[in-house]
Amino acid sequence: MLINERLVLLNSKAKNREELIRELALLAYKDGKISDIEDYIKAVLKREAEYSTAVGFGVAIPHGKSDSVIDPFLAFAKSEDIDWDAPDQNPVDIVFLIGVPEKDAGSLHLKILANLSRKLMKEDFRNSLRNIKTSAELLDFLNKSELGF
Amino acid sequence: MKILAVTACPTGIAHTYMAAEALEEAAKKRGYDIKVETRGSVGVENELTDAEIREADAIILACDTAVPMERFEGKKLLNVSVSEAIKNADELIDRSLNANIYKPNVKNQENISSSEPNKKEPTGIYKHLMNGVSYMIPFVVAGGIAIAISFLFGYDSASNEGSLAAYLMGIGGGTGAFGLMIPVLAGYIAYSIADRPGLAPGMIGGMVATQINAGFLGGLVAGFLAGYIVLAIKKYIKLPKNLQGIMPVLIIPVLGSLSTGLLLFYVIGTPVAAINNGMNNFLMSMSGTNAIILGAILGLMMAVDMGGPINKAAYAFGTATLTAAVGTGSEIMAAVMAAGMAPPLGIALATILFKNKFTKAEIEAGKACWVLGASFITEGAIPFAAADPIRVIPSLMVGSAITGALSMAFKATLAVPHGGIFVFFAVENLVGYIISIVVGTVVTALLLGVFKKNIAELAAQSK
Repeated sequence: MLINERLVLLNSKAKNREELIRELALLAYKDGKISDIEDYIKAVLKREAEYSTAVGFGVAIPHGKSDSVIDPFLAFAKSEDIDWDAPDQNPVDIVFLIGVPEKDAGSLHLKILANLSRKLMKEDFRNSLRNIKTSAELLDFLNKSELGF
Repeated sequence: MKILAVTACPTGIAHTYMAAEALEEAAKKRGYDIKVETRGSVGVENELTDAEIREADAIILACDTAVPMERFEGKKLLNVSVSEAIKNADELIDRSLNANIYKPNVKNQENISSSEPNKKEPTGIYKHLMNGVSYMIPFVVAGGIAIAISFLFGYDSASNEGSLAAYLMGIGGGTGAFGLMIPVLAGYIAYSIADRPGLAPGMIGGMVATQINAGFLGGLVAGFLAGYIVLAIKKYIKLPKNLQGIMPVLIIPVLGSLSTGLLLFYVIGTPVAAINNGMNNFLMSMSGTNAIILGAILGLMMAVDMGGPINKAAYAFGTATLTAAVGTGSEIMAAVMAAGMAPPLGIALATILFKNKFTKAEIEAGKACWVLGASFITEGAIPFAAADPIRVIPSLMVGSAITGALSMAFKATLAVPHGGIFVFFAVENLVGYIISIVVGTVVTALLLGVFKKNIAELAAQSK
C-alpha cells in the first residue's frame, strides 16, 4: 500500500507550502517510510524550486526522489488555502505528497502515481476529494478509483 | 482532425501524465483524435509511430526535457512547456493546428553535416549507419591515440603490469575504448531505428558480435537486427494498459537482447567461425606459393573486415611466421603490418584530397587516422568503412593488397608483431617498406576519391 490512514491529514493548519510539506513528511517519517526526514524535505523543496508542483484547480503534488525514502509512499492532506505559486494563481487546499526511492525509477508504483496524476485533472475526482470527511473514506475512495493499488 | 502530442517533465513522476490527460480531455471535447506519447520515469509509453506521424494534422510537444525531434520533420509543430499544457490544453489544440512547419535545425545535426546549408536530412539505412558511426568515432579516436601513446614507450611495454604504457593500453585497448567501439556502433544504429528502447539490445548485440569475432561488420548486423527486433516487439506485443509500464523496463530489454544475442550466436557465429577456420587453412596451404601473390592476398584479408574473422586469420598467420623465424624478421609479418597501416593512412589522405566526400566529423576523424595508421591501428578506418561499406572496403582492400605485394617484393622483414612506425627499427629494407606503405596509401585515397559519392548527392539519393 502506498497510502494508509497514518498518512492522511484532513485538517492541516499549515500556513505555507514548506510547513505543509514538513507536516506530511513527518507523518511519513513516523510511519517508517523515510530514514532521513531533512534529506527528503530537501529533495522535495529542490523540486518545488524548479517549478511549482501546484497543478492548478487547488491541487498540488509535491514529490521527491531521494535515497532517504525507504518505501514509496503517498501522503494526503486537506488544508486551508495555501499560496503555492500555482499556474492558475489559485490557492491550494488539496495536497498529495509523493516519496520515491532514488534507485527505484521505472517500477509499478510510478505507474500508480502516473494514474493518480491523470485522475487529478478530472473535476469529479477533485470534488470527491474535497468532500471527504474521514481517512477511511479517503482510502476507500482511492481504492475505488482504480489507481492500481 | 488527428493530433499527436509528446509530454515529458524532468522528474517524470506526475506532470508528464497530467499534461497528457489534459491534452486528451481537450481534444476529446472537440471531437478530435489524439494520441499522447508520455516520456516519464516509466519510460516511453504510447510511442508515436511513423505512420501516425504521417497522418497527423498537428503535433504538440509539451516537454521540459529533450525528446527525439527528427521524426516530426515537415509537420505542424507546437512546442510548449509541460505546465502550459496542464493550464491551457484547450488553447494549445487550436494553436497547434496553425503552428509552423517543423524543420530540423541543420546545425544540430553535426553527425551528418556538410557545407551545403539546405541539404536534406538523410533517411533510412544511411541515417541509421551514420548515427552509429558518429557515436563510434570518439571511441576510435580516443582509444587509438591512447594505444599509439602507449607504443611510444616501446611496442610491447604495455605488457609491463602497472606501467603507464599498460594503463594507456587499458584505456584504449580491447578492454577499454576499443572494446566499446563495436557495442556503441551497434547500440546507436539500433537507437536510430527504434529510439531509446533499441540502445540496450543494440549494445549487447554489439558485445556479442565482438565475442564471436565478427568484427565491425558483425556490429552492423547486430545494430540493425536489434533495432528492427525492438520495433517488431513494440508493434506486435500488446499488453493490457495497466501492464504497459513493464514494456520499456522489462519486455523490450530482455526479449530484444535475448533474440538479438541468440540470433548472433547461432546464426552469425557459426559462419564467422567457419570463415576464420577456412581462412587459416587457406593461408597454410598458400605457404610456398609466389611471395608477391601471398602478400597481395594478405593485404586483401587485412582490409576486408578490419578486426573480423578474415583480418584475424591474416594477422594470426603473420605472427605465427614470427614464432617460426626466431630472431630474424619475417617477410609475411612485415607485409601484414604494412597492409594494416595503409587503410587508415589512405583514408586520412582522402579526407584531405576529397573534402566534399566526407562529413565534417569524418574529416576531423581523418586527422586522427594519420596517427592511427602510422601506429598500425587499422581500427581507425572502421568508422569510414562502417558508414559506407560497399564503396570504402574495396578501396581499402586494393590499396592494402598493393602494399602487401610490394612489401613482399622488396623482401622487407619485421621482427615484432605490432607497433607501426614505432617498430621501424625492427624492419629490414626500410626504404622499400616505406615505399610499399606510401604507394598503398595513395592508391587507397585515390580509389576512395573515385568511388565515394559526394555527401550531398548521397543524402539526396537516399531520400
